[in-house]
Amino acid sequence: MTGPVLAHEMGLSRRLLPAPAIPRPGLLVGGMVGLMAVAVLGLVGAGIVQEHAAPAQRLLAPGTIGHPLGTDQLGRDVLARTLAGFRWSLAVVLPATLIAGLAGTGIGLAAAASLGWTRVILERATETAAGFPFLVLAAPVIAIVGRGYWPLLIVLAILASAPFALAVFDATWGGRGRMPVFQALYAVPAALPVVGAFIVADLVVTEACLSFLGVGAPEVAPSWGNMLADARQNVTTAPWILYAPAAALVLTVLSANWFGEGLGQLWRVKAR
Amino acid sequence: MEGPRWEEGGHGIALHVARRLIYRAGQLGAVLMSVATLLFILVRLSASPAALLAGAGASHAEVRSAHVAYGLDGPILQQYVTFVTRALRLDFGQSPAHQAAALEVVRLRLPATLMLTAAALAATALVGVSLGVWLGLRADRPEHGWAFRLLLTGQSLPALIVGLVLVQVVGMTSAMGASAPLSFTLSALTLTWWLTPRAARLTAGPVAGAVRQTWVLTAKAMGATSRDVLWGHVLPNSLLAALALVGVQVAFLLSAAVVVEWLFGWPGVGNLLAVSMQARDFPVVEAAIFAIAFLVFATYAMVDLVLAAVDPRLRRRATPP
Repeated sequence: MTGPVLAHEMGLSRRLLPAPAIPRPGLLVGGMVGLMAVAVLGLVGAGIVQEHAAPAQRLLAPGTIGHPLGTDQLGRDVLARTLAGFRWSLAVVLPATLIAGLAGTGIGLAAAASLGWTRVILERATETAAGFPFLVLAAPVIAIVGRGYWPLLIVLAILASAPFALAVFDATWGGRGRMPVFQALYAVPAALPVVGAFIVADLVVTEACLSFLGVGAPEVAPSWGNMLADARQNVTTAPWILYAPAAALVLTVLSANWFGEGLGQLWRVKAR
Repeated sequence: MEGPRWEEGGHGIALHVARRLIYRAGQLGAVLMSVATLLFILVRLSASPAALLAGAGASHAEVRSAHVAYGLDGPILQQYVTFVTRALRLDFGQSPAHQAAALEVVRLRLPATLMLTAAALAATALVGVSLGVWLGLRADRPEHGWAFRLLLTGQSLPALIVGLVLVQVVGMTSAMGASAPLSFTLSALTLTWWLTPRAARLTAGPVAGAVRQTWVLTAKAMGATSRDVLWGHVLPNSLLAALALVGVQVAFLLSAAVVVEWLFGWPGVGNLLAVSMQARDFPVVEAAIFAIAFLVFATYAMVDLVLAAVDPRLRRRATPP
């Protein structure tokens, strides 16, 4: 549910009024600690517990020996699958954010640097694209193309390019006219990590939503969206399937949002 | 000493409204053209375009008639023109699954979605905006810190998770079995949860900004009470800015509604889109995307109109002294 509001939330936009300038290092530090935990779990999490389907051990309750968080309807360990989900989620979202960041920065800078009608058209196109909820288009596209790692990555990258472009354009043009190059050299690197953090949070949720709807990750992939869909299927018989992937998803989104907000406030205070 | 004179009833507002509406219509047109082009590319890349266009479960005769209707034997450029023209004329063909025109199927679901978003919006206007004003007025106080973090945390709980927890609390075994009032209440509750923190944060910013303005000090120096300043000056000024920001979020509420309607089995356009794309019912999918695009830009246009209607600056025209 990526939107142009990202640009506003950064405080670098032309439309935002002065925000409260209380520096809150707690947000930034909390977000960084959370993101580090997510990164570590993404790197080593899949190796801690092995995930394999064992039909004989279907729907075991939490606390069973060998399955501290229980098993799902195919006998897969919930803890192992959730931990593997960190790697899956990061492997899809981080490259998508990187591609979107490069493409969006290019488009945003091109819009800010061009003159006359070219600028107006690029600006309007970026604004229109960033104001359209692309999830409603992305989901059917994957439904037609077929689910999988690459379709998901490409669709998410395209989805996130427009908000990046709008943020970079706002930071360098900002309604006040074109920024001198030396100023843009500071403004763009300052804006990108903030927007990037919000976009990572957003894409993690979008990936989960698409997979939940059955138009994202392949059925066997350890995507949190797939696990949530399993939880929906077994809501009365095995309520425990829900909690682990939900907690992992919230941890990731919360950390990225806190980090982005904390960093944005830091810049806002410094800009004064 | 003569400043600029302000004239009542100038042509400013009509011109402004016309320009905004033309801009929104242009945006809608551009998005619809892009969507149609993208879908055409996907259809052409698929193994059997006619079968995809006709929709899943179509008979041989229906596939054949889709083949003829879209002119799939002609040159590629002509196929493209046919496809886009049909889409822009809102002629999406018949849905084999529903045995009805795709546009009609979508139209029947529109009231449900409008009802749901209206309920979520009303609840948010009540809760979210009040929270935002409260937060904005306390921008420099210690309680702002934790209230702000709480809102950010609430915003970080995805609608999908909130919805699933609600499903579990209520013990809803399947979306189909839910009664309409229950499904509506839970959907509206989840969407309100989604929108409230966003609306509150986007309201707090402008309110905090307005309180800081020097005219607040001037008004107080002239003897106005805090309440007069708040209701007469701060809120009208800041809520206008907030409305413009929240309007954008309403468009994204529609994409959240796809997941939420499907989760709770509320029979809106989002639910229809989710079910139809899983079943590869192409005519309905195309019609639903067009309907949502229309709703998005209609929302933007409506926000523009409200802003124009309530912003006194637009009702006057400055003339040089």
